[in-house]
Parts: sequence; C-alpha cells; structure tokens
Amino acid sequence: MWRKANMMDGGIARVKIGTPKEMFEGERRVAMTPESAAQLQKLGYDCLIETGAGAEAGFSDADYAAAGVEIAKTAAALWKAVDVVAKVRAPNEAEVKRLRDGQTLISFINPAANDKLLKSAAKKGSTVVAMDMVPRISRAQKMDALSSMANIAGYRAIIEAGNNFGRFFTGQITAAGKVPPAKVLVVGAGVAGLAAVGTSTSLGAITYAFDVRPEVAEQIESMGAEFVFLDFEEEQADGAATGGYAAVSSPEFREAQLAKFRELAPEIDIVITTALIPNRDAPELWTEDMVGAMKPGSVIVDLAAEKGGNCKLTVMDKKIVTENGVTIIGYTDFPSRMAAQASTLYSTNIRHMMTDLTPEKDGVIDHNMEDDVIRGATVTHAKAITFPPPPPKIAAIAAAPKKEAVPEPTVQEKRAAEVAAFKSQTRNQVTLLAVGGAALLAVGLVAPASFMQHFIVFVLAVFIGFQVIWGVAHSLHTPLMAVTNAISSIIILGALMQIGSGSSLVILLAALGVFMTGINIFGGFLVTRRMLAMFQKS
Amino acid sequence: MEYGFTTAAYVVSVVLFILSLGGLSGQESAKRAVWYGITGMALAIAATLIGPGSGLWFLSMIMIAGGGYIGYQLATKVQMTQMPELVAAMHSLVGLAAVFVGFIAHVELGRVLAMDDAAKKGLEGFAAILAKKDGVEIAILRVELFLGIFIGAITFTGSIIAYGKLAGRVDSAATKLPGGHMLNAGAATLSLITLIWYFNTGGFLPLFLMTLAALFIGYHLIMGIGGADMPVVVSMLNSYSGWAAAAIGFSLGNDLMIVVGALVGSSGAILSYIMCKAMNRSFVSVILGGFGGPAGEQMAVEGEQIAIEAEGVAMALNEADNVVIIPGYGMAVAQAQSGVAELVRKLRAQGKNVRFAIHPVAGRLPGHMNVLLAEAKVPYDIVMEMDEINEDFPETDVAIVIGSNDIVNPAAQDDPNSPIAGMPVLECWKAKQVFVSKRGQGTGYSGIENPLFFRENTRMFYGDAKASLDKLLPMID
Repeated sequence: MWRKANMMDGGIARVKIGTPKEMFEGERRVAMTPESAAQLQKLGYDCLIETGAGAEAGFSDADYAAAGVEIAKTAAALWKAVDVVAKVRAPNEAEVKRLRDGQTLISFINPAANDKLLKSAAKKGSTVVAMDMVPRISRAQKMDALSSMANIAGYRAIIEAGNNFGRFFTGQITAAGKVPPAKVLVVGAGVAGLAAVGTSTSLGAITYAFDVRPEVAEQIESMGAEFVFLDFEEEQADGAATGGYAAVSSPEFREAQLAKFRELAPEIDIVITTALIPNRDAPELWTEDMVGAMKPGSVIVDLAAEKGGNCKLTVMDKKIVTENGVTIIGYTDFPSRMAAQASTLYSTNIRHMMTDLTPEKDGVIDHNMEDDVIRGATVTHAKAITFPPPPPKIAAIAAAPKKEAVPEPTVQEKRAAEVAAFKSQTRNQVTLLAVGGAALLAVGLVAPASFMQHFIVFVLAVFIGFQVIWGVAHSLHTPLMAVTNAISSIIILGALMQIGSGSSLVILLAALGVFMTGINIFGGFLVTRRMLAMFQKS
Repeated sequence: MEYGFTTAAYVVSVVLFILSLGGLSGQESAKRAVWYGITGMALAIAATLIGPGSGLWFLSMIMIAGGGYIGYQLATKVQMTQMPELVAAMHSLVGLAAVFVGFIAHVELGRVLAMDDAAKKGLEGFAAILAKKDGVEIAILRVELFLGIFIGAITFTGSIIAYGKLAGRVDSAATKLPGGHMLNAGAATLSLITLIWYFNTGGFLPLFLMTLAALFIGYHLIMGIGGADMPVVVSMLNSYSGWAAAAIGFSLGNDLMIVVGALVGSSGAILSYIMCKAMNRSFVSVILGGFGGPAGEQMAVEGEQIAIEAEGVAMALNEADNVVIIPGYGMAVAQAQSGVAELVRKLRAQGKNVRFAIHPVAGRLPGHMNVLLAEAKVPYDIVMEMDEINEDFPETDVAIVIGSNDIVNPAAQDDPNSPIAGMPVLECWKAKQVFVSKRGQGTGYSGIENPLFFRENTRMFYGDAKASLDKLLPMID
C-alpha cells in the first residue's frame, strides 16, 4: 500500500532495476545496456547501474547517465537500493548474502548444480529467475538467452579457429600459387553449431556438419553445409520429445558415428565440437587417435569444454598444441569475448523477460506462476524452491501433427450401428428387388417372348453397369466419361446394319450415322488414352 | 439369318467393354482398360461388317475411315483444357446418329410392311429381320424407335448447348424462355400425344413432330441450367446417349447395342448422382434447371478484400512448410496448370510438403482438375480428394486458391440461407494463410458472394492465373 500511494504522488519511489558489475573473473558482459535501460524505463521502472559495470563491454557511465540510468557508487549500495537485480553470471557467495526478502534476481543460475544458492535464496524469501531455464517454446524465444549466447559462441568459435589456423578459408588460385580451401567439420547442429556452419560457409570454407538428430539435416543444408550421413539404420529419438535437445545415443550408433569421424579426420582442417546433452558430461566424440590423424596446423575448437569436452585432450579455458601440431581450444568464455554483442543480446532477453513480468506496463511486477514461461524460469519464489518446474503445457516443439482423436464408439454402439445399417440396407435391397421383380413380371405378361429376351439382357446390363461404376476412382471420372462416350458410339452397329438395305435416303442417313459415330469412336478413345498416359507417380 | 460367329464376337466385346469400365478404378489398370475398350469396339464393328451389316461394306469402311480421320485430328489437337467441350460436342454426334438410325428404321418398317409375303422372302439384312415380326412385335418396335429418336434428339440439342456454354459461345447463365418449365412440360405432353398417335397409325408426321418437340426440350432444358452445374449435365447427357443407343438396340434386335447402351446409360446416371451428392444438390432440381430459391435473406458479407502482390505471396511460400493448392476452373481457363506444376516442383525441391486439394466438382467435368494436373506432370500421389485433406487444413501454413470459388465458400457451412448451404466445401480458411488467385472482384459461376475473400487471413492475388504465376515463379527460391 505504501508503495502504491507513493506512486500516485508522482512515482518518486518507483520499482528499481539494477545491474551490478560482474564479479566473475574475466566476465566482460553486462546485463543492462543504455538501450535496454531506456526500454525498461518505458515499462515504468527506474534503472540503476554500478559504476564501471559496462566498461568492458564498451558502455561508459556517461552513456548510461545519458540514458537516464542512475549510477551507484558501490555494489553494496546498488543491491540495497534496487528491487530487481539483473545479472549475467550466477551470484557468488558474497552476492547471495546481499539478497533480501522480496527482491528479484534475474541471471543465469544453472539451478541443477547450484543447490546451495537456491536454498539460501528461498530462505531469504527472494525470487530467482533463471535465464537458462526459459522453456524453449516459440513465445519465449525472445528471452531465450541460451540461444543468444550459443549463437555468439558458434560464430566466435570459427573466428578463434581462423585466428589459430594458418591458411585461408576460401580456396584461391593466385599468381603466387594455389591455396586449397579449408575443410571445416561442425559436430552438433544446435544453435551454436548452426551459427558456426553459417560463419564458416560465409568465409568460404567447405563445411560439413553432423548431428545425431537426422531431422536437422535440412537446417544444416539450408545454411550451406553438407550433412554427414551415417550408414546406420536405427529409429532415432525424435528431437521434439526432448525439447529440441539431443538425447543419448545407443552404443552401436556411437560406434558408427566415430567410424565416420575417423574416416573424415585426416582431411579436416578445423573441427568445431558443440555436442552437449542436458545435465550430463559432454560425450567424447573426437578421440585422441582422430587428433593424431589430423594434419599439423589443424585446429579443434571444443565448445563443450565446460562439461569436460567432446575431445578428451581439451583443457578447459586453455589453448594447447598437441605433439603433432594440432591446436585445441577449450575456452568457455566465447560470449564474453564478444562482450558488446553479447551484452546487447542478453540485455534484450532480460528486457523481454521484464516485459512478460509486467503485463500492465505500469512498473509493477506481476509474478504470474500460471504462465508457462515465467513458471519455468522461476527457481525460487515465495520462500520455496520451485525447481525443477513441471513440464510446460505447450510442447516445446510441435511433435508430429496428431490427428484429432475421434471418440471411439463402444462395442455395443458399433454393433448397434452395424445392425441398423444392415437392416436398412436389407430393407432397401428387398424393396428394390420386389419392385423391380414386379415390374419385370408385369412387362412379361404383355410383351412377346422375343422382346423379353432382349429385355432380360438389358436389365442385366444396367445392373452390371451400376456395380462396375461405383468402383471407379474419382480422379478418373473424366477418362471414364470419354470412354463411355466412345463406347456409346456402339450405335454405329445400327447404322452399319441398315446401310445396305433399301432406298437412297436410307443409305444417305446411315452413311452419315456411320461417319459421325466414326468420329466419336476414334476421338473418344484417343483422348482417353492421351489423358491416361499423363497420370504418373512421383 | 443367324450369324453364330457374330454372336460369339459380340459376347467377347461385351466382356471387354465391362472390363474396360471396371478397369478405370485405378490409374495403372486404366491404361490397360482403354485398350480393352478399343479392342471391344474393333471386334464389334468387324463382326457386324462381316455378318449382318455386310451390305455396302465398302461405303461403310470409307465412312468409318473418314470419321476416324477427323476424330484423330480432334483428339490430338485439342487442348486438355478444352476436354469438357470436346466430350459434350461428341455426345451430340451420338444423339444425332441415334435420330438418323431411328428414322431409317421407320422408313424401312414402312417399306417392309407395304410388301407382300413373296417380296418379304427376298429381303436381306435389317429388312429381313423386320419382315419376320408379327403385329405386337411391330407395335413394340414402334415404341422403341420412338424412344430412341426422342432421347437421341434431346441429347443432340442438349449437347450442343452444353458445348456452347462450356466453350463460352453461349451465355453460361441459366436462361429460360417465358413460360419456363411449362414449355418443357408442354413439349413433353406433345411428345406423349404423338407417341400414341404414332403407335396407332405408324405415320411419319407424329414422328417428325415429336422430333421437333424433343429438339426443343433438349435446347430449353440445358439453357435453363447454369454453368456451374455443367459437370452434372455433361455426365447426364452421356447417360442419355447410352439410353438412346439401348433403345435403338431394342428396335434393331441387337443385343450388343442393348448391353453397351445400358452400361453407358447406367454409368452416366451414377456419375451424375455422385456429383450431385458432392454438391449437396438434389438431382431433380439440377436436371430441371436452376437453384431452388433461398428460404431467407442471405448473410451480408462484411469486411473488405485485401490485395497482395507477388512478392508477398513468394515470401509466405518461402517460409511455409505445408502448402495446399486448390485449383479450379480459373486455372483451366488461364492454362496455368504447367505454371502451377513448376511452382510445386520448386517448392517440393525445398523439402516442403505440397499437396493439391481437389473438390469433386472442381472444374467443368468430374475429374477435370486431375486430368489437367496430370497433363502438367504433377505426380498423382500428391493430389488429394476433399475428404482426404479437409482435416489437414488447420496444420497448413499456406493455402493457395487458384481460380476456384464456390468450392471454397465458407457460406456453405455458415449461412443456412445461402443457395449452396450444406454443400461440402474445402475448408481452406482454416489454414494459417490463404491466397486467392483471381481475375477480379466478381463472383463465381453461381453468382454467390464468397465470404472467404473477406476473411482476415485471406489475401487476394489479383490477375490472370498464368500471368500471376509467371510473376511469382522467379521469386521462389
């Protein structure tokens, strides 16, 4: 009530969002940029920033001040002043201590491995929103910070590789000699992998990409790389079932995959590995013998270094050179190496999260735990740990389109329907037969035998016609018409039989009849044949 | 005179004709089925020429050859889009032939009856058969040939009008002379009176009067049916030509003509029935012409038609995964089928799921669209029927309507007072986006406003279908 009253007085004590300087060593990103601050103010918030927080990402205190952001002298002052803290890295112990009741923290958390943090935050009564827990549904893409960062990592991986690779990416034929193009293999076609593929192809390298999910082959090819197909028959788990992430593959599949890599290793100049499986160590995909088979001067960039690396030789956060001259890069701070870009994207993700938390755009946070996205990302709220979240109501990726379930009729209903249909059918048929039979009899009573002979034939032919035509395919109705048209020229027989008997008038009429039906016979059949010859399977 | 060989040949050709019709149940077997039909027809003619029709056989051969040449020229030159007209035109020939054959039978009957017994013994061919008939048989014969001429004459003028309407030479709107159905009823009554007259006297005058009346009925009946119902009319006329052949077969005592006429007659009738069912129209009201009057005010259509240029369509297509194309008569008129096929090839090459949705009465003939698409080499396994594809529309990203109107009209479901209420339609408006390629803002053949064009997810892509596609194609990549 107190806060609301004050707001009405002119917004003196509006809700404040603040961003402290990152304490993690080497972290250069910042969670708020002057641009995102301007947007947040439009939502009705006041913005604070610790002095120098954006310096390493290229944003000076003056830039922030110009955007209307208040500068806090120390981290302690900032934490004390604000209601919402927006950060990049998960808070360290000192920062956790600063959290207070009712305060909201938005940052990367990695909640699965940060039990202690969750417990103390919950105990204090602060709400923690983990940007790395935003569910992967279409609506939440604008706040999917993992994808933003992975995109940067993929791009940067190629740049780092190029930096350590002694040749051009494009093949060139110059006056000074011929340069072969670089061959790049990207393992794992998630966001980072695809970004790497795109960067690599636009630099002109011959790019191959591999993923255990065959459905991404199309995406890989759309980025201009060649998908490495395995000669392997197995029902692959649909990526859609696991929220778009890869699942663990079978040992047989792994063997086939490694064999393929072994075959490729000697000709590949640059390998980018991005294979991660949620909540597990990174799978080993690039073995020591593959590294040994590579040419000197080749480069491996292991984006999975943080989780142990896809290559066992990778040293986290280090660049090493093997005995045979292969450079292996195990950096884990690729986004931070492009701090300006990363900060812009991340702060935009944060801003979108705030937009969703402020449905009325009035500077009041409405933490709606019914909302799939907010619920998924919130790891502590109202003094309780709310991790892991329940599965979202909407599947992350549309699974194979499901047919609408038709309510299955019960056995009795089915039986009753069948009986009813059978009865009405029987009734119809019996009625028809009775009427038809009676009509036939009536005709038979008066007509002479010679007529009845023909009449029987006629009735039977009509019957056969009815039976045969029901089965004709819908698409063939036009050919059917052309054929029946041609066949109806059977009337030519009448003309033929009469042409030789009698007067010149008869001959003339009969000859005309033969002529016209002749047109019809040839025209009808030929047109039918033309039409049918066109039907073909794909 | 009996010809054992001829009868045997007739049996074989009847079997071949039945196999030919039955073979049309599938695309592959249909290719074989045509040959059955051709063989059956060749066998029937050959057997007749050798047997009962051997008189003046040389003249017959010349006439067949001459007709065959013209038929060959027609069949090879005709554009696939003109198929409906061709079929209608050819029906008129069968109708006229039936009239001629009927008149000959009348002339011959008169001649034979005038002879004495001695002269009758010397007769050959058809006249010899007539000579053997007794009183009752001759009476029946008169009814048969009367019917043959009657149906033949209706088929003749009816087919010519249908041809004119399909070819655009006759105004396709339903028009009636003052008096409407009363004129038809009058002509029919006149025919009935002449039948009784002819039955009793056997004179030429009643036959001639009846022929005029029947010609008028054929003309007026089909004039009164709107262009949208032409598919039903063509298949109905097809049926008539069969019945005419059967009636003539009776009067000539030729079993093969009876059997084949009955086959054609019943198949045409069923086809008409199937089509009427697809349009949710009563068969009788189609035959008698015109829509039944609406029971109340039709819903007013609100909103406006929003146009879009080729760039917008191309962008949406490049982004779509699921595309459904709904062709109609407009595609046939603009000869756009090869452009459509090219579009499909390009989209499919990008891995998109592209399918065709064909309404049972799309175009001016049943199966018309299938034939055109087949001509443009669209594989037939992506061409779906209405029932197969209707439930897939909600998952469709882009639906493209090319020159169809009534078959995609949501009023059939929403507006109980619409003239087409209850007609099954393609529910393309359930797709995320609908593009309608259309020449202008006019209404379709039935003259009914289409609320689809005013929907929020519908964009109108104005212009001739072929020109529009030519503009669109280079932008798809």
